[in-house]
Amino acid sequence: MSETIIETKGLLKNYKGRAAVKDLNLNIRKGEIYGFLGPNGAGKTTTIRLLLGLIAPSAGTIEIFGKDLRHEKMNILRKVGSLVESPSYYGHLTAIQNLEAIRRILNVPKSRISEVLDIVSLTGEEKRPVKGFSLGMKQRLGIASALLGNPELLILDEPTNGLDPSGIQEIRDLIKRMPQEHGITVLVSSHLLSEIELMANTVGILHQGSMVYQDSITNLQQRAAGEMRLVVSEPEMALSFVENRGYTGVLQNGTLCFTRMNDTTVAQLVKVLVEKGHAIYRVEERRQSLEEFFLQVVGGVSHD
Amino acid sequence: MRTLGRVLSAEIVKMSSRYLWLLILASPAFAVLIGMSQSEEGPISWEFILSVMGAIHGMLFLPILSGLFTALLCRYEHHNGGWKQLLSLPVSRGSVYLSKFIVAAVLLAAVQLLFLVCFLGVGWWREAGGPPPWEMVLPRILGSWLATLPLAALQLAVSQAWSSFAAPLALNVTFTIPNMLVANSTTYGPYYPWVQPLIAMSPYGADGNFGALNLPLESLMIVVLGSFVLFFTAGLLSFRRKAV
Repeated sequence: MSETIIETKGLLKNYKGRAAVKDLNLNIRKGEIYGFLGPNGAGKTTTIRLLLGLIAPSAGTIEIFGKDLRHEKMNILRKVGSLVESPSYYGHLTAIQNLEAIRRILNVPKSRISEVLDIVSLTGEEKRPVKGFSLGMKQRLGIASALLGNPELLILDEPTNGLDPSGIQEIRDLIKRMPQEHGITVLVSSHLLSEIELMANTVGILHQGSMVYQDSITNLQQRAAGEMRLVVSEPEMALSFVENRGYTGVLQNGTLCFTRMNDTTVAQLVKVLVEKGHAIYRVEERRQSLEEFFLQVVGGVSHD
Repeated sequence: MRTLGRVLSAEIVKMSSRYLWLLILASPAFAVLIGMSQSEEGPISWEFILSVMGAIHGMLFLPILSGLFTALLCRYEHHNGGWKQLLSLPVSRGSVYLSKFIVAAVLLAAVQLLFLVCFLGVGWWREAGGPPPWEMVLPRILGSWLATLPLAALQLAVSQAWSSFAAPLALNVTFTIPNMLVANSTTYGPYYPWVQPLIAMSPYGADGNFGALNLPLESLMIVVLGSFVLFFTAGLLSFRRKAV
């Protein structure tokens, strides 16, 4: 079992009597990419601000690198790179000046600036005032700032917000490389299941301030699996036929629904139906949306 | 406190904004205009030049600049999440707050130095009698700078708390405008923090008889020190508890 990087116990944050985060027990291990998932307002950003000491918890403890955040904030933050909510920047300064201001506080060599600019592919734009940057470029600059101090822990709040598809791909690859190449642990938040699925190896789902689900991404994928839907002629007959052959499915509004299956199984299923003389109008995979999965998870919790 | 130097040096990078430098020039330039245009019967004295040049400078510009500098120093932090980024770096909130205050104080000191240069220049140009009166002018330049620091402390306190740029300035102007009346009042003048820069600047010290303008420097500094401690502590405590 590898060492724990972030551990919170009974974390609580009240805003005017309403709990934005309640009884949160996080456990993030070294080298992990931990995906923090939840709809807007679920408490992701509040949790991240708590972890960075930007706001004080109403109750509970936070330990990062095994140290208490309240007592050793400076030592902890020295090893943490972060990007909270929308990208932070000084609009009147150029990208280099923005990074230089941070570099002076972190006390890292000047060469680090061109290194991080290169990592986020901002080279060539570094001498323009940042207020003229597109949202995607500001986002990259924010990630560059987070990387500047060679952090051991990277906390990125919605890092792909406002990026175009190729930018999203690039940042995603960058995040995935972090644990392998630099041994960095990453906490990344998103409101998109598909986003987290492609990056993280562990996922925690927040709903109304509480952790409703925390597991490996593989297990999540099984739980949140989509279904195969077939529209065929004479669906009742088709269903009883394939059920005899070991497939389990249900009939919904004239559509045959099966749990998610691999390509070979789908091919076989279609083949037997065709051979039996059924016309196949449509074969589609329907993936559960995050909202549906949420409802399922949240519903599951309330039944427990 | 080891981080203070680093935070200050980062502050210098962030300040590379041309407005700040223009603000340093504004008041001394205005004072030169007044100093060159006002005339007195008989030969011009250094005291006369200081009194005309220092009147608007001490009464309006110093208090207003204390608010403008602190508001500008907080402005780029309020915009686009600067506080968030700065405070999630390994810095103590105390050193961040102190560095902002130090920068504001240094800018005000730069204004005072430039004012001194302008004062000497105007005196020389208008052939004021005798050599530059260092004993008279230096304590007044220093004294009015010190008297501006409590105002800067209060303005920093409200500027860090309010994300609006205009609100702290409005507060500042609201308290500065009564200076014209308070300066003439022996009852309120000695205790009104906003008028202290003017009182400290006035060349008609202990021997003159001009409303509150004849206070000894010592009693003035007690009011200045008291209000400074109050405003600075309140601002620092509020900043340390600030939710970012």
